[in-house]
Amino acid sequence: MSRGAARFRGFSWRPVGRKHATIAGVDLDIRAGERVLMVGSSGSGKSTLLHALAGALGTTISGEATGEVEVDGRLGLVLQNPADAIVAERIGRDVAFGPENLGLPRRETWRRVDAALAAVGLSYGRDRFTSALSGGEQQRLVLAGVLAIEPDLVLLDEPTSMLDSATASQVRDAVVGALGGRTLLVVEHRFEPWLDHVDRIIVLAPGGTIAFDGSVEAFLASGGVPGLWMPGAPPPEPLDVPLDLVKPSADPEPVVARDLTVELVTRTIRGSRRSTALSGFDARMDPGRVLAVKGPSGSGKSTALMAMTGLVRPATGTVTPDLSRLRSRDLARGMGWVPQNPELGFLTTSVREEVARTATGLGVSVDVDALLELVGLAHLGPAHPYRLSGGEQRRLAMISALAHRPGLVALDEPTVGQDRDTWAMVAGWYTAAARAGAAVALATHDPDAPRDVEVVL
Amino acid sequence: MATTEAHLPFPGAEAGEVRDWVTRVNPLVLLAVGACSLVGSFAIRSLPIALAAVGAYAVAALLLLPTWRYPLLCLAFSGFAAVTIVYSTWRLGGQDTETAVVAGLRILVLAWPGSVVVGFLDPGRLGDYAAQTLRLPARPVAAFSAALQRFAGFAQTWTDLERTRRARGVAPGRSPIAMTRYSGSMGFALLVQALRGASSSSIAMDARGFASAATRTWAEPAIWTRLDFVGLSLAVVLGALPIMLFFSGL
Repeated sequence: MSRGAARFRGFSWRPVGRKHATIAGVDLDIRAGERVLMVGSSGSGKSTLLHALAGALGTTISGEATGEVEVDGRLGLVLQNPADAIVAERIGRDVAFGPENLGLPRRETWRRVDAALAAVGLSYGRDRFTSALSGGEQQRLVLAGVLAIEPDLVLLDEPTSMLDSATASQVRDAVVGALGGRTLLVVEHRFEPWLDHVDRIIVLAPGGTIAFDGSVEAFLASGGVPGLWMPGAPPPEPLDVPLDLVKPSADPEPVVARDLTVELVTRTIRGSRRSTALSGFDARMDPGRVLAVKGPSGSGKSTALMAMTGLVRPATGTVTPDLSRLRSRDLARGMGWVPQNPELGFLTTSVREEVARTATGLGVSVDVDALLELVGLAHLGPAHPYRLSGGEQRRLAMISALAHRPGLVALDEPTVGQDRDTWAMVAGWYTAAARAGAAVALATHDPDAPRDVEVVL
Repeated sequence: MATTEAHLPFPGAEAGEVRDWVTRVNPLVLLAVGACSLVGSFAIRSLPIALAAVGAYAVAALLLLPTWRYPLLCLAFSGFAAVTIVYSTWRLGGQDTETAVVAGLRILVLAWPGSVVVGFLDPGRLGDYAAQTLRLPARPVAAFSAALQRFAGFAQTWTDLERTRRARGVAPGRSPIAMTRYSGSMGFALLVQALRGASSSSIAMDARGFASAATRTWAEPAIWTRLDFVGLSLAVVLGALPIMLFFSGL
């Protein structure tokens, strides 16, 4: 193999706690300098293959690997959540982490740091706090950290799925501009913008087998694979969710937010940092309608959603009715909130208990089997919520937060990073809830997510 | 999120004032304050020594720390430990009040200064100095420094977990039993989040050459300024005070 090439031979992987392998006997060659896009539905094993190349399987991630994985040369990995990859307080030192590991002298380290920061278009200077960067900037910082080790093979795991389209395009441009002759392997659900920059596509089918491997032209000519976000294809029809699963147990009042300002203060012993997360925000949530709060990454969409539903208290402005002073149970009775990170919400040790938890606490009856069947999790009833794949967790978090049929429904970026089936299910749920009389609000940068009213931040 | 952003100085502490020294001295000096107080505490054998040592640290805290609230919080925690020691020594040690109070103050000198200064440690600089001045092995130092870095994120995770639980209707009422159970469940959830974050971090770090870093270098030097030497001397003097008083026969 030449530098930058990678090879799988009969590679299989079974994570701890699963009966069956999630990757089964994959044979794959990636040649040096090739730019490869890997696609497939949630849980098909795309991230697993990247982790295998990065040497994390069987070490950091527990499970049983068989077969061979070989990489020639140095690799750099960018994960979906940039916060996990940041190791230092200031951006200069963060980018320097790789060169330090390579044992480079100080002068060369800083030369590479400055070059990498310039390559990704971060012009703040070395002393900027990493915590002061927006999501898109953090992702570019992580990319700079990878470029600074001058890798032969660059692996990107859904690098833009958490970003709005303008920021995603900045990150993509930064990747393409800085790549040079390096090998690229990128995983992404909404892959259309990558097609101009890659020369090969690999489609993984559920079960971790390769369903397609060929050029972009051949892929497009083949008509693609069901369940993938094919270029130009309209978004899927929202799933038809029975109204009695989502019909509010009590009719909600409209929620009116006027001139809201929300300030977040981060305190540490060494100092405190104050940031204005939202200012001058006006919106209303009406029964029977879907409100979408949209805006670029970091503009305060999530905060707006939380302020309207009583989860954050505004510094100035009014929300009517004011839910922020309600006790937890009273608040939960009237509203349901689906956070962007599904794992934050898990309270129990099985999927079944998780779905019933809030409803049982409030004395509301819930048809757990019907809900699990609807979202395709019926076979995972006894499984631990943490053992599910990302898309499965997203679906579970949604029905767990909303199974008690609240009148106010708030969802934070519910459709990002999802395959088409999960997307259709999520969109189907909240549109059905609105039809049944709930007041629904989304924080979203997905232009396709169905809505009745929009507020732009 | 950060539409506007400002770094606020500590109340009453402008850059260059004596009271922000603690944020400008190098982290080994801070550790030395804790270590010297620990060594010095063993010489606290009588009430006058105990009062002198506690008084010296209290004056140093008043003059040199930029904030009141945090040292007082630490004092409350170590004070609680001290009170339990006073009580048990009094009960088991023949009900001699002076011996019991001395034992309590000894614990205060042992724990309080260290618990205060550790809050002011900058994880990144600690790594630089631990590896370059103390010559500790580079990889564990870098891993430790990156792990400390993640602590800052825990407060945010805690807030996020609390918010999700409130929305799910499971936040506790005012009953102390419910609050205790809730803290336990929150603590466990935070631990789970920390472990999962740590494994992603570990993958990301290894993919930046950490896995194979045999001879690691450091992008910034570990310099000792005059202020650092002054701080180190102060740490030694404070720690040596009870020892000198002990040998002087007090």
